Amino acid sequence: MMESLFYIAALVALVATVAALTRSNAAHALIYLIVSLLAVAVLFFLMGAPFAAALEILIYAGAIMVLFVFVIMMLNLGETGDIRERQWLRPRNWIVPGVMAALLLLELLLALRHAPTLTSGVAVAPKDVGLALFGPYVLAVEIASMLLLAGLVGAYHLGRRFIVRREGRSN
Amino acid sequence: MLCAQVTSVNGTVDDLFVRFGADLFDLQSTADHTPTLWVDRGNLLEVLTHLKPRFPMLLDLFGIDERLRQHKPAAAADFTVVYHLFNLADREEIRIKVAVSDADSNVPTAVGVWANANWYERETWDMFGVQFSGHPNLRRILLPPTWEGHALRKEHPARATEMEPFSLSEEQQEQEQEALLFKPEEWGMARATEDTEFMFLNLGPNHPSVHGVFRIVLQLDGEVVVDAVPDIGYHHRGAEKMGERQTWHSYIPYTDRIDYLGGVMNNLAYVMTVEQMAGIVVPDRAKVIRIMLAELFRISSHLVFYGTFAQDVGQMSPVFYMFADRERLFGIIEAITGGRMHPAWFRIGGVAQDLPRGWERMVREFIDAMPARLDHYQIMAMDNSILKRRTVDIGSYTTAEALEWGITGASLRATGMDFDLRRDRPYGGYDQFEFEVPLGHKGDSYDRAVVRVEEIRQSLRIVRQCLDNMPEGAYKSDHHLTTPPPKERTLQDIETLIHHFLNVSWGPVIPPGEGSFPIEATKGINNYHLVSDGGTTSYRTRIRTPSFPALQQLPLISRGFMIPDLIAIIASIDFVMADVDR
Amino acid sequence: MSELGTISFGLFIILAAVGGAAVLTWFERRLLGIWQDRYGPNRLGPFGILQVAADMLKLLTKDDWVPPFADRMVFIFAPTAIVVAMLLGFAVVPFGPDLYVLDINIGLLFFLGMTSLAVYSVLLAGLASNNKYALLGGLRSAAQMVSYEVFMGLSLMGVVMLTGSFSMRAIVEAQRDMWYCIPQILGLFTFMIAGIAESHRLPFDLPEAEHELTAGFHTEYSGMKFAMFMLGEYLGLILICCMITTLFFGGWLGPWLPPVVWFCLKVFALICFFVLLRAAIPRPRYDQLMSLGWKFMLPLTLLNLLLTGAIALALRG
Repeated sequence: MMESLFYIAALVALVATVAALTRSNAAHALIYLIVSLLAVAVLFFLMGAPFAAALEILIYAGAIMVLFVFVIMMLNLGETGDIRERQWLRPRNWIVPGVMAALLLLELLLALRHAPTLTSGVAVAPKDVGLALFGPYVLAVEIASMLLLAGLVGAYHLGRRFIVRREGRSN
Repeated sequence: MLCAQVTSVNGTVDDLFVRFGADLFDLQSTADHTPTLWVDRGNLLEVLTHLKPRFPMLLDLFGIDERLRQHKPAAAADFTVVYHLFNLADREEIRIKVAVSDADSNVPTAVGVWANANWYERETWDMFGVQFSGHPNLRRILLPPTWEGHALRKEHPARATEMEPFSLSEEQQEQEQEALLFKPEEWGMARATEDTEFMFLNLGPNHPSVHGVFRIVLQLDGEVVVDAVPDIGYHHRGAEKMGERQTWHSYIPYTDRIDYLGGVMNNLAYVMTVEQMAGIVVPDRAKVIRIMLAELFRISSHLVFYGTFAQDVGQMSPVFYMFADRERLFGIIEAITGGRMHPAWFRIGGVAQDLPRGWERMVREFIDAMPARLDHYQIMAMDNSILKRRTVDIGSYTTAEALEWGITGASLRATGMDFDLRRDRPYGGYDQFEFEVPLGHKGDSYDRAVVRVEEIRQSLRIVRQCLDNMPEGAYKSDHHLTTPPPKERTLQDIETLIHHFLNVSWGPVIPPGEGSFPIEATKGINNYHLVSDGGTTSYRTRIRTPSFPALQQLPLISRGFMIPDLIAIIASIDFVMADVDR
Repeated sequence: MSELGTISFGLFIILAAVGGAAVLTWFERRLLGIWQDRYGPNRLGPFGILQVAADMLKLLTKDDWVPPFADRMVFIFAPTAIVVAMLLGFAVVPFGPDLYVLDINIGLLFFLGMTSLAVYSVLLAGLASNNKYALLGGLRSAAQMVSYEVFMGLSLMGVVMLTGSFSMRAIVEAQRDMWYCIPQILGLFTFMIAGIAESHRLPFDLPEAEHELTAGFHTEYSGMKFAMFMLGEYLGLILICCMITTLFFGGWLGPWLPPVVWFCLKVFALICFFVLLRAAIPRPRYDQLMSLGWKFMLPLTLLNLLLTGAIALALRG
């Protein structure tokens, strides 16, 4: 039962990802990407990492992708965007990235050849995740938070410049 | 009529004569004794510019088609453009008239002198085909761009029966569709700047918050209004044209529907002008009845404003309370007049009937209950911090700007301008009443609401004084032009019989002349300029409404705000589309 | 519960929630009527309750129309998303000690995840309608939801700290001595506001603000698809009330009456409160709402978190 669920979710994730890559309509591509993320969340859950699954939904599907959709709404792409996308999706543009992706896949398969089992069989409770993050991996957490802070300051800086320019013009 | 030699009656006219020489002007006498000067169009701008400091407000600007007029003033040609100026500080008026011929109807534009001349000149061009040279945007304003002819010209048909049956061919339909296509450039808007692509939003003609059929084209950067261009005329019904075919009396019901929230207040402005032209004196009881009804309608109109104002900033409940109050008020009005929103109850020379038995009790109950309810609404709506945050400092303008744009009424008083025609130039008996004129000080959306809310209380005060001091006597003047004389008297002498016969078969014949009578209506100054050519109908009916200039000013006060602010501004200026488009 | 029992209970909850949302449409109008000096729907059946059936018939028989300029697939998908997400959210609500569909150790996170997915419904509707009002509504909603989700999650962390678990049942059990509405009063306040914002009801109905955006994101919707949005909104309201009950008002706990009755009574009282709120408060402006969220509510939740953590540590010694 669990195993079949796993494969179904994995298949959904794969198909949705491929669709996300090949759709010419940006909104449709994003919806596929969201579906793919949700499928990955299911995978996490089945592999005994419910906390990671919840975060996948909350952060990636629930917040980051919302911003993606937001940006698409702001851009007002319409028909012209569709046509441009379709041009980018011509097969000959795909040869090089396709080969590279295939190589990566091969490498991954080789590396996973000796992987023991599908899941560890032990569910990781949220508490354990927290203990691990603020125990052995505290340095990583701190570095990540510094990075986010830097991103925040950078975004503010970029946005501020635009606001200053606009105010200057209106005066 | 031509009386350049006549020593003038008035300081302003003297001053003009001294400055420009008396030969330049033709003085016309009018029923309202407002100095009316004819000027050659070559000197027009100079005269207007000279008058501007003294008359900061262009009250009205309109045309008259003189071609069929029998009792034409000596200086008149084919068309006349009338500039009605107003000096609020000294309660002084003056009219400047310019005569043009049909073949060469160019008049220099006054947009540079008074900003609000813009729409008025467009309307005059739309209705008469008078050209205004130098006008920035001389397009149709009330009629659709595909309209043929100029509707208020005498040769333009007034009734559908005078025209071919309506038909719309495929070709015409395509033309109409083409005319509807929105091109930002035609509206004076750019599509983009170097780093922003603007979004154009069509707010209206059907939108929950535009209070009728009113369209605003918005140029948006995100939700910020870069520019807003109002588009009016969707509610135009040719009320002024109808005035030229209805008898003096039968036009009264049409006035009700101009400011359809003001009810008899519209009747008042109209009948006061007619009475002035005919020299009819209204008995005291009729005066007090009129004031009482007019103030009740002011309350009713302000209640609608109050409710929709709260509703437009997103508060759901107040409007239900206020409409319930309005319903009680309509109960009283129905008991007195038989009608509710449009009673058409005033008559030339008085009112239609005497007050019914028991009216005192109904009115007393209402005015006793209202103050407590208003206190309740104050807490619920006006004191609400979110409502304040939505409206304070939103859409504000100064007194000078308000005057420049012809803003009158509560919207003007919200800027701190202490002016109310009822107190400062009392008409129809208002000098006998005690009331205060509430003022704002910032001229923002919140102050406009505060002033109106306070006006409800003052109107209640006036109604109470009417109630306590209702004089006895006739409810209608005895004048032969107002009502058919009593039957008994017609049987006694031939003179009365003739009047009776004429009045019943034709309606009254108002002596030739012209005049106007500005009154403080629910939304500002309402003014009917009537021209009688000695007939049973008006030769020209011009309706100056307070809502029209208010909408013209809208872009000025909404630029740089967000869409919700624009809605709050629209809610706060209290207009009625029928009042704008007529 | 057995597997079969769980599934049938799940189905029952779906039916009950949808039915409850339908009745709520009538109940809210009646309640608003009482508060606004008028009647509300009172003609059909006793107290007008059959109005629900009439409305449903009307919506069901309406032409199922998709505007020709809309993005068909997304346009149809959007309204279903909110209903599905909200119904899934009910899975983790414990209606009684043994009445629940799912009791997982990330129950609270699951609820947050489902509400965050409901955003897509509004967003995609705004995008797919190809209408400017809908677009503005969608944009507003994206900004509003993302901002308010941040402290919606944070406002609940105080509760999690005190309980030491994300499991909804554990949270209720931990309230035997004292409901969390007392120690977590700040959390309750912020969660309630975030909850209204998430279910976009007045005063936080900016995405659909009818006075500004005609109907916002669902301007182009009619018939059944419109009904789905309404259903989703009312489901959201019920779900938020269930959550507040569970997290702050001791869930099913209470003397004398059976637990389920206590739960329903508390939810009902909260719904009435939310309807009253709708009747009373005007709508803030979009940027005011955002600054309220980021400049006031977020610091408040962080403060609550700090205080709760400090006190919890101090008590534990």
